[in-house]
Amino acid sequence: MKKLFVCLLLAISVLYVKQASAQKQQHKEYADTKLSDCNNCHKSEGIAPNHDSDFVRSHRTFAGKAESNCSQCHNQSWCLDCHQGGGINADLSTATFGRDYIPKSHRSDFVNIHQLKAQDNPQTCYRCHDQKYCNACHARFPTGSLRIKSHLPSGSGQTFIWSGEHASEARRNLQSCQSCHPDGDVCLSCHSASSGGRINPHPKSFQGGNISSRTSKTCRVCH
Amino acid sequence: MGIVRVTLMCFLGSLLITASAWSAEIHGRSSTQLLWFNNEFIDERQFEAAEYLRVGITGIDKEKKLSLFGYGRFSQDLSNGEGLNGRLYYLFADYRDLYDKVDFKLGRQFVNLAAGSAIIDGIQVDLKNVGPVAFTLLGGRDVVFGLNGEIGNGSNADLGMAAYLTGFKQTDAEISWFRKWDHSDVARDVLGASVKQYLFNSVRVYGNVRFDLVSESFNEVQAGLKYYPISNLILTGEYYQSYPTFDTTSIYSVFAVNRYKEGVFRADYAINDRVSVNGGYSRQEYGEGETANVYRVGAWLRPIEGLRLNVEYDNRRGYYGSTNGVIVDADYEINRNAQVAAGFQYDVYERDALTREEIARRYWVGCKYRLNKKVAVSGRIQDDVNARFSENVTGRFVVDYDF
Repeated sequence: MKKLFVCLLLAISVLYVKQASAQKQQHKEYADTKLSDCNNCHKSEGIAPNHDSDFVRSHRTFAGKAESNCSQCHNQSWCLDCHQGGGINADLSTATFGRDYIPKSHRSDFVNIHQLKAQDNPQTCYRCHDQKYCNACHARFPTGSLRIKSHLPSGSGQTFIWSGEHASEARRNLQSCQSCHPDGDVCLSCHSASSGGRINPHPKSFQGGNISSRTSKTCRVCH
Repeated sequence: MGIVRVTLMCFLGSLLITASAWSAEIHGRSSTQLLWFNNEFIDERQFEAAEYLRVGITGIDKEKKLSLFGYGRFSQDLSNGEGLNGRLYYLFADYRDLYDKVDFKLGRQFVNLAAGSAIIDGIQVDLKNVGPVAFTLLGGRDVVFGLNGEIGNGSNADLGMAAYLTGFKQTDAEISWFRKWDHSDVARDVLGASVKQYLFNSVRVYGNVRFDLVSESFNEVQAGLKYYPISNLILTGEYYQSYPTFDTTSIYSVFAVNRYKEGVFRADYAINDRVSVNGGYSRQEYGEGETANVYRVGAWLRPIEGLRLNVEYDNRRGYYGSTNGVIVDADYEINRNAQVAAGFQYDVYERDALTREEIARRYWVGCKYRLNKKVAVSGRIQDDVNARFSENVTGRFVVDYDF
């Protein structure tokens, strides 16, 4: 096994040294080339075509720091029009929400659908929107006016679905709780060490010391 | 207007003077726009005028190493008294190849590392040509845009550094660290790594990892493989997981959360120059037994010269509800200067089994005409019909001037 590992290591090293002498293709002169014409060259060079229909979901890897060549064809504005709501590059199919142009992932009536779409990889929203963006809109709605299943009454009585389901719901999508309760005051009415139900909200592997060494505020809210 | 922006404007002015001395090349776009829409944050119809400006000044100095790039917009509400609004997306000086080893970017800019990304008012320094590894150091004030302007705090800051492979034709790799301060408290502390490796002329293996130093957990893990046996077929398999993390200054950083997991498989196939098709399936797991399945199919067609059709359909069933929708876009180039386009979206969705199925529709038409090499005018109008609106018209009229 050790010999196999050493052989593999040597093979990879030789491969790398060979590669090291090769320079990446500059793409500036191809900036206006049709995407359909890019594929043949990419394939013959062993490089996967990377502007396919999956681009929106997958481009994060290409845009990484290491030898990213996006800027050879695109201005930063091309990125920011999607990520930060600009609109100087929009083509005719690009839709608008208010004054901001929006990416195609924001479907018709996205206000009503976004809770569902946000489930498809919950990190996606935060690549463009700060948490405060959610709060700015959600703060407009009176408490209890949004249709959230775990917040609704159970039957005709005074009990709420929330009582039984909120823990699971919160663990699955805590970011959505923050949209309406940015300070977590509702949570703390039960989950505080100093008052209320004193129910411990911390995960099993909670690294409290890592938080207290970076900020003195958060722990003091309850302790 | 903050002191940083004033400084940047002064800097821009001085560079413009220098630029004129060396007959620098100035290029960019001015886009003047009239926008009308329903302002959903105040429930009023709104009519606005907006001016976008993107400028690039290159070859400012004798050695043509210094460039300046800027992009921003102003918008003036003409109906609801919301007044003047603006965003400065970026304005930075880019100096390359100092001693053939160092690149600088100074000013407002978008920065992106495997460990995190941000818009900063600050500096990015790249050290290169020092071997197979290059280095990046960046830092500055954290810029956050809200609904009406900047909402970031002056004392919020970002710092990041990265080391990455360079000069390898088929290998890219980066490790990085990104820290964010919120009012002098450390809010985020993240290690990141990404790697891409091309193999056998037909495979790309890639991965992306973010490790949160506060919760000591992998905030995001992505690992995938693309197989392209022929130039017009790409098969993708990918695993992704995320663990929600929060700023340490947020009380939510102390709460327990579940890990989200996703498996993706998709295929993209260009049958010929006129027809491409794609399809995909995602399996999503939210923890505690909740799952969802997402199916996607799409086609890109060019039935006659100048006409392009794009059709996408997706279907999601499972946790939190279901969506079922189609997007159809078409555009036709009448000639080199004139283009018309239209499309619609039709979505049927049901949230949390709370309501019956609801339907959302969007219809839009647009056209563009290029008056000459530098000037183009375009217009687009869309109508949303859904559970909230029987009519919600949004439109824009745009004059673009390229220089």
